[in-house]
Amino acid sequence: MKIEDRLSLLNYKTDKSYEHITINPSICETCPDHFCTFACPAKCYSLIEEKLNFKYEDCVECGTCDVACSHGSVAWNNTKGGHGVKYKYG
Amino acid sequence: MSEFDVIVVGAGPAGASAAIKLAGSGSSVLLVERGDPPGSKNVSGGVLWGDSLGSVAPDWEKSAPMERYVEAKGVSFLTRDSKISIDFRSKKLQERRSGYTVLRTKLDGWLSKKAKDAGAMVASGITVDKLAFKDERVIGIEQDGDIITSDIVILAEGANPRVAINSGIRDRLKDRDVAIGVKEIIKLPEKTINERFNLTSSKMGFASEYVLGFLEGGVKAGGFIYTNKESISLGLVISMKEMRENNNTRSFDLIEQFKEHPYIAPLIEGGRVDEYSAHMVQEGGLKSVPQLYGNGFMVVGDGAGFSFSNGMVLQGMNYAIASGIAAAESAIKAKIKSNFTKDGLSSYEERLKSSFVLQDLMNFKGIEEVTWSDMIHRGIPNMTEELFLSLFSENGQPKAHMINLLIRAMGHSDVPRKDMVINMYRMLRRM
Repeated sequence: MKIEDRLSLLNYKTDKSYEHITINPSICETCPDHFCTFACPAKCYSLIEEKLNFKYEDCVECGTCDVACSHGSVAWNNTKGGHGVKYKYG
Repeated sequence: MSEFDVIVVGAGPAGASAAIKLAGSGSSVLLVERGDPPGSKNVSGGVLWGDSLGSVAPDWEKSAPMERYVEAKGVSFLTRDSKISIDFRSKKLQERRSGYTVLRTKLDGWLSKKAKDAGAMVASGITVDKLAFKDERVIGIEQDGDIITSDIVILAEGANPRVAINSGIRDRLKDRDVAIGVKEIIKLPEKTINERFNLTSSKMGFASEYVLGFLEGGVKAGGFIYTNKESISLGLVISMKEMRENNNTRSFDLIEQFKEHPYIAPLIEGGRVDEYSAHMVQEGGLKSVPQLYGNGFMVVGDGAGFSFSNGMVLQGMNYAIASGIAAAESAIKAKIKSNFTKDGLSSYEERLKSSFVLQDLMNFKGIEEVTWSDMIHRGIPNMTEELFLSLFSENGQPKAHMINLLIRAMGHSDVPRKDMVINMYRMLRRM
């Protein structure tokens, strides 16, 4: 089962006015490993034409990327106002 | 004068248990949860082991939303072609008490309701930014620039402790502190689950941990399968450190390799994946335990690094509940003495030290080096596979003695014999 299909099973209340995680593109540009693209279990990080692309909308708020990025690019915050992922079972 | 006696941040098992205990003793409690409803952001394997809930809800076995009672507990090593298992089943596990499989949205929702019924104010969908300080003492919480005051704050944030980090009372997490947990809920009819896992009734369940010695790129991970009433919780706990060192497989792909294993696939055949989830898992043992209390605050549950794994069992929620209760008891004591300083809350650590929470972490110090060792993930699976292949196959050749088979099998383990012996000794000592 593809990750995209697995993510499509999830319910999100997306916060359109607040991105709870931001990255610093200039750091990602020179990153030697892009470990985030391997570690993030929701495939929020991907390389598109060798450029790091990040989408917060699919985030399941596990916190992995904040530990995975050892170059200081990820600024991680909790979602606000009950936004973000909403599990059925957990 | 503070607005509340205690503010609890996070309504998982640790926070809700603390709130239930405190509200039940007459303290004014605010339980703040960023998920709405409570439980909707929480993930665990999960089996709730033991009887910790008994002291906050004596009738929990009847009233709490438990899935199945663990009557069968497995531990397996998987190689590419083989499965080597212990499949322990005993009527005595019912008397001795094992655990219940649970789904966290249901369990945590129930716990929050218990907290509310006990008199706590439950605020869900509210994200705490950081602790509020005055004169080096915690005086409450800060949310969107507003401060809500309390004599004590209990932080029960779970495995990703943002408030503690933002407040400067703990370091950021490192590779060695955590693993990446990924999980699927796979729907299957109740009867099919009973048949496939050889369970005696729909109330009885199966829980098993797997050492996955066959994953692509040699990434080390543990697997788990727990049976719920009408679904299976199947997942992986992947070492962050190992992932980084390999950096060639993606966390979300590994679960597929587990599901496709020849002796796992038949268990879930025909099942429909109904949810995918991921969460960090506290894995660092005693080394990852942060400052547990200070002036006006205590830290409980996963956020305090309280979890236990020796490769054969994975536990967290029981430690969460027990630590939440210990913090509540210490808060009650502090209130009597009107001393909310670090000194006034020091009984929290004493309580933990005299209970299984810190004793297990201290007694099994360094166990994580064994559970993530080459010996566990490659040595033992490969060696036992070769040993059993020799023992259980028949090719018309003279049979060798067990000891010779064992020495020969060790040669197939991919781990030098000397390292195997040293590691084996270390493992037995630490276990």
